[in-house]
Amino acid sequence: MSEIVGKKLAARPSLWNEDVEEAYRFQLAGYRDETEYLTVNSGNAVDRWPHNNYVKKLQRKDGRFYYFSRARECLEKDLPKVKLYND
Amino acid sequence: MAAVEAEGFTIKAGMKNSKVKSPPKAGAFKERPAKPTSFRKFYDRGDFPIALEHDTKGNKIAWKVEIEKLDYHHYLPLFFDGMCETTHPYEFFARQGVHDMLEHGGSKILPVIPQLIIPIKNALHTRNPRVICTTLKVLQHLVVSAEMVGEAMVPYYRQILPILNIYKNKNLNIGDGIDYSQQQGRG
Repeated sequence: MSEIVGKKLAARPSLWNEDVEEAYRFQLAGYRDETEYLTVNSGNAVDRWPHNNYVKKLQRKDGRFYYFSRARECLEKDLPKVKLYND
Repeated sequence: MAAVEAEGFTIKAGMKNSKVKSPPKAGAFKERPAKPTSFRKFYDRGDFPIALEHDTKGNKIAWKVEIEKLDYHHYLPLFFDGMCETTHPYEFFARQGVHDMLEHGGSKILPVIPQLIIPIKNALHTRNPRVICTTLKVLQHLVVSAEMVGEAMVPYYRQILPILNIYKNKNLNIGDGIDYSQQQGRG
C-alpha cells in the first residue's frame, strides 16, 4: 500500500458505486480527489449535476476543462484504474 | 431462334425473340462521399478551442475555454458539419464535441437549430451507414438537450425524414459488427 501525503491508498474497486464514479472523474482530470482539487484550485467549488450530484466540470492542472456526462461514465473496464483513498 | 437482349422501351424490345434487360439500379443506397468539410479545415488550422491530444483519456475532449462561454452560433454548426467525417481524428472530435456542446449548452442550443439543419441533411445524404448512425445518435441527443428543441425541429422534417424513409426498412443485423452504443453507460 502506498502512502501519499497523509492519505492511504485503500483499495482498487471491483464494483461500481457512486464513490467510485466520483474518484474516477477526479482522477481522469489528474487529481486524487475533491480535497486535492479544492487545494489546487484555491477553493473554487466543484461544478456538479444538480439531480445526482455527479461532477460536471473540472479544470485540469494545465488550465483545460473536462466536461462529464450526467450519467455514469466509469465503465466496468475502467474500474481497475480507479484508486480509492482513506483519510 | 436465339433470344436477343434488348434495353427496355426500345423497338428491339418489341421483337418476339427479344429478352428485355432489367432496368439499371437507381442507387438509392449508394454512398455519396461528402465534400471536404469546414470542420476539417478549422481543425487542421487549430481554430477550435480544444486541445489536440492524441492520448485522449476516457474519450474526452480537453476544452481550452469553458463550453458555457463559447459562441454557439459559430461553433455548434461547425461541429455538426464534422459529422460527415469518417476518419480519425476528425470523426472523434466532431462527435464528442457535438455531444459535449449539447450536454452543456442549455438555452443556447434552441436559437442555433436553423443552422444545424444543413449539416444534418448533408450527413444523412452521404448514405454512409456509419455516418447515419452517428447522426441519429446526435439527433436523439439534440431533441432532449433543451426545452422546445424537439418542437423547433418540426418545420425541418422535410429535410430530414426522406433519407430516414429510405432506410426505415433496413433492419438486417450488422453481422459481426459491434454496436458500441450498446455498452453500459454510453449514450
